[in-house]
Amino acid sequence: MRLNVDFTAKLKKFGAETTYECFNCGNCTAICPLSTNEEQFPRKFIRYLQLGLESKIRSSVEPWLCYYCGECQQTCPRQANPGELMMSVRRYLTTVYDWTGLSKRLYTSTTWKFLSVGILFFATLFIVYLLHGPIVTDHTELETFAPAEIVHPAGYVFGTILAVILLGNVYRMHKFIMGDTKAPFSLYIQELGTLIKHFAIQARLRLCENKSLWLKHWLLMTGYTAAFILVQVDILTFWSLTNNPPPAWHPAKILWTYATVAMLYATTVAIIGRLKKEEPIHQYSHSTDWMFLILLWLTVFTGFLVRIFMQFDLPLPTYYAFAIHLAFTVPLLGLEVPFTKWSHLAYRPFALYFLNVKRRALEGE
Amino acid sequence: MVNDKIGVYVCHCGGNISDVVDVYKVVKAVQNFPNVAVAKEFMFMCSDQGQQMIEDDIKELGLNGVVVASCSPHLHETTFRKVLARAGLNPFLFEHINIREHAAWAHKHDPEGATEKAIRLVRSGIAKVSKARALESIRIDMPPQILIIGAGIAGIRSALDLAKLGIEVHLVEQLPFVGGRIAQGYGAYPSGKIGTELIDELVEELKKEKSNIHLYTNAEVVSIEGFIGNFEVEIQINPRYVVKECDKFDEAIEKCPIEVLDEFNYGMTKRKAIYYPYPNAYPELPAIDMNACNKCGECVNVCGDAIDLDQKPERKKIKASIITFATGFDPYEPKEGEYGYKQFDNVVTLPQFERLLALSNGKLEYKGKEIKDVAFIYCVGSREREGEHKYCSRYCCTATINAALAANQKFGVRTFHVYRDIRTYGKYETYYEEASKNGAVFLKFSPDEPPEITQSGDKLIVKVKDQLTFGEEIEIPVDMVVLSVGMVPRKTEVVSMLRVPYSMDGFLQEVHPKLRPVETAIGGVLIAGACQAPKDTVEATASASATAAKASTYLLRGYTELDPFIVEVDAEKCTGCGDCVEECMFGSIELKDVNGEKKAFVIEATCRGCGACAGICPEEAINLRGYTYDQLRAQIDAMLEEVEE
Ligand SMILES: Cc1cc2nc3c(=O)[nH]c(=O)nc-3n(C[C@H](O)[C@H](O)[C@H](O)COP(=O)(O)OP(=O)(O)OC[C@H]3O[C@@H](n4cnc5c(N)ncnc54)[C@H](O)[C@@H]3O)c2cc1C
Ligand code: SF4
Ligand code: SF4
Ligand code: SF4
Ligand code: SF4
Repeated sequence: MRLNVDFTAKLKKFGAETTYECFNCGNCTAICPLSTNEEQFPRKFIRYLQLGLESKIRSSVEPWLCYYCGECQQTCPRQANPGELMMSVRRYLTTVYDWTGLSKRLYTSTTWKFLSVGILFFATLFIVYLLHGPIVTDHTELETFAPAEIVHPAGYVFGTILAVILLGNVYRMHKFIMGDTKAPFSLYIQELGTLIKHFAIQARLRLCENKSLWLKHWLLMTGYTAAFILVQVDILTFWSLTNNPPPAWHPAKILWTYATVAMLYATTVAIIGRLKKEEPIHQYSHSTDWMFLILLWLTVFTGFLVRIFMQFDLPLPTYYAFAIHLAFTVPLLGLEVPFTKWSHLAYRPFALYFLNVKRRALEGE
Repeated sequence: MVNDKIGVYVCHCGGNISDVVDVYKVVKAVQNFPNVAVAKEFMFMCSDQGQQMIEDDIKELGLNGVVVASCSPHLHETTFRKVLARAGLNPFLFEHINIREHAAWAHKHDPEGATEKAIRLVRSGIAKVSKARALESIRIDMPPQILIIGAGIAGIRSALDLAKLGIEVHLVEQLPFVGGRIAQGYGAYPSGKIGTELIDELVEELKKEKSNIHLYTNAEVVSIEGFIGNFEVEIQINPRYVVKECDKFDEAIEKCPIEVLDEFNYGMTKRKAIYYPYPNAYPELPAIDMNACNKCGECVNVCGDAIDLDQKPERKKIKASIITFATGFDPYEPKEGEYGYKQFDNVVTLPQFERLLALSNGKLEYKGKEIKDVAFIYCVGSREREGEHKYCSRYCCTATINAALAANQKFGVRTFHVYRDIRTYGKYETYYEEASKNGAVFLKFSPDEPPEITQSGDKLIVKVKDQLTFGEEIEIPVDMVVLSVGMVPRKTEVVSMLRVPYSMDGFLQEVHPKLRPVETAIGGVLIAGACQAPKDTVEATASASATAAKASTYLLRGYTELDPFIVEVDAEKCTGCGDCVEECMFGSIELKDVNGEKKAFVIEATCRGCGACAGICPEEAINLRGYTYDQLRAQIDAMLEEVEE
């Protein structure tokens, strides 16, 4: 295999700054609660990074098995930040899987980040400006302002596009991971349980020593899953996009309150953590980490404002807040789900899924 | 003659002995032994009271021999000899018997057996002392003169230390210029100073000590006679052909039509027949290399009588009390084809690479090609599984990383390190860490599967089964391969003149690495620097200063005393067969004519008292003082005598 340190240099943009500080002692792998005899990391991947073994990295699944609990960060005698290096490999892999090429741009170029967020933000505002309904000012009529028959279909179309892109990426991921291994279709069916389980509860993160990490992550996860479901069912329950908001004890509203609090709490804690840099996993922030956190926080916060303004029956503030809420939601979902950080939500369980399928296929041979 | 009033003193050693050996029984068993005047036991014989007891007994009872049965003679033999001396008795009428290690400790579980053994040992001591003779230490004068061979960093350091004490130093260097190997280096760790700068600093001091240091360059030792305190050395000073100052040397050098490979730059550049190895070289006069010079006279036309092409070698006799070897090492020369050496153009050794760094400006070029990626292969000619060089050369890991850092910083070169183990020991670990930070890539090979070098286009490909990448074969395309060669011992004839022993690795060997680290088995011969073992400059100069300190302990006092345990020849018995002469590996016994008959004579100053000649002599004409045939026989008899219950 050819050593290629140009590749190593390239990965610096993805946050792999400390690659060569590692002297391969293996402490990190020994301490990692998630590394196993079969799937060893992070040292192995740092080694691949040091030598620039691109093909090894592209075809590997292990980076997705690391949940960045940060234990390795603390034990590395060379302060090589093994956990962050694993994170940078995941960023790189995300761009490898992405067939549109946008992911790579977002990870490596600040201009592209600002530009794409800006365009989606203002485009959304512009569309709202074009398509909004009558503005009732004597009391709050959100549905009149944003007619459900426009908002909901638009949402579904947007969601479908994202899902298609993401699934396309997952398909490519599958190709890279499986390599030449052929697995019978039945295995894919049998292993579906793995996929669902890991998607739902992020079981592996609980293996980390620091349980609060899992908890925070779980809060965030359940928060946006709840929010996601609520938005989907709004078309039936009319709890949100409505001129007559239901009373506070409405189950959808209770669930919504939980989602807001959970997400606001988790994102705020994460932002403070990254600013303070005390915890190992928060010491190094790639520009995309900030982009994700800030967009998410603003989206949740503006959603919260909409709800408050509505409660106090303040029509104009409600409409403005709603427009801005949408304008943050679109880049958040549009950029994060298929192209950057949120795609990990899909890649992680899929990685385990493909890994199991591959392993069983190889055993079966 | 028999010493018939012997005092025997058995020590408890605070229980160390008496817990096992019945010391009272020992006293009882020896007090009536022939020639014993008094036998006593005591808790701590080495204590002030114990010593006083012996001293008083000697004086009051008029003892003429003493046996102390206690710990190891290594611990307290000298202590008790001094007691005898204080009491006015010859200190060699003493025998130290070790009943602690040899009886009590060795036979802990057999107290009776231990006691019996102790009795036999003590009796043998008594028998030996009864036949002992008063002996005198051998005193040797040590005039403050020393010869140091080799003017590398070690030789110069040692010379300076001694000269500052007012000792006369003869410093002999075989090359026309001083400085040794480090002058050929680039930025040397740990200071980062260029090798020649380090030497310049020492040379400045050297100039100040001119009155005490006689420097002979281009000089070799022709013969050495004599022994500690009295070495007579003949040296030959080979002609430099440049005999005095001239302010147009640069022009003379330019005019010289002859060009040869410059050994200072390991043959990578050329120099003239009249040359300086490097700009600031010392002594300031250039030298003419007569192997290259064709006596065309061009230089003479420029510098006139400053140059004498007919200068003759000169011999000189020097006296020295002590000789220090500072003859250094040679870098290992790889075999042809070893890692592509001499097979591919761009495979060089580390010393060559350092010269290349020193000579390059702007960009790193070799044979017209720019060098951007360099692979270093470690442990070349060191740590060999088979072969002579089984040792680690110590300097090369750090020196390689140091050179790689310099290459990276000065020329932006990317470096790849193919190593077995990184041994940047002690504080040099920071070099390793810094190299890592600067993006140096490390790959580890097993000696079972050494890397291979091949050529592909204008690149060299290093193939290595990298143990850090799970044994995968990694190919590294590079512009240059540098072999981190080890240090190998330099075999010089002077060493054999003095029969200084070599270690297993072929370097000069010290008497004891911890207890006598800079002395050799040859009295008055010291070793400094890398001639002793692979050393970097830090270690080389430390040992150089240590030899200076060691030498000064003799030279400042003006004399030394040697143990009297050497051999003596009974001329009556000696038949002059000469067997002993052949047996002595120190050349310390010789045959001389005495009234037409050949007789053996001992050279007292160099005899080590090993007794080899005494053992070989068929006539028992040679006796080792303090261990004569009489004494040994008496000891054996006494030891075999029955011990009654
Ligand atoms: C490539 C390379 C890089 C190095 N880099 C470093 C570094 O960065 N830092 C560091 O601390 N060390 C470094 N070293 C080690 C350093 O060179 C040695 O520690 C140092 O040279 C030892 O000094 P020395 O005086 O003992 O021996 P030498 O330097 O070998 O000097 C011995 C002298 O004795 C003379 N001589 C030999 N035999 C005779 C004889 N029979 N008669 C008269 N004269 C004789 C020789 O001509 C020579 O001048 C490096 C070595 C090499 C090869
Ligand atoms: S990242 Fe740190 S702990 Fe892990 S192998 Fe490298 S040096 Fe050791
Ligand atoms: S961050 Fe945690 S999971 Fe990832 S490699 Fe380090 S210890 Fe393992
Ligand atoms: S110092 Fe390093 S390169 Fe030199 S022999 Fe020892 S281990 Fe090998
Ligand atoms: S005792 Fe040893 S050193 Fe002395 S002369 Fe005899 S053989 Fe030589």
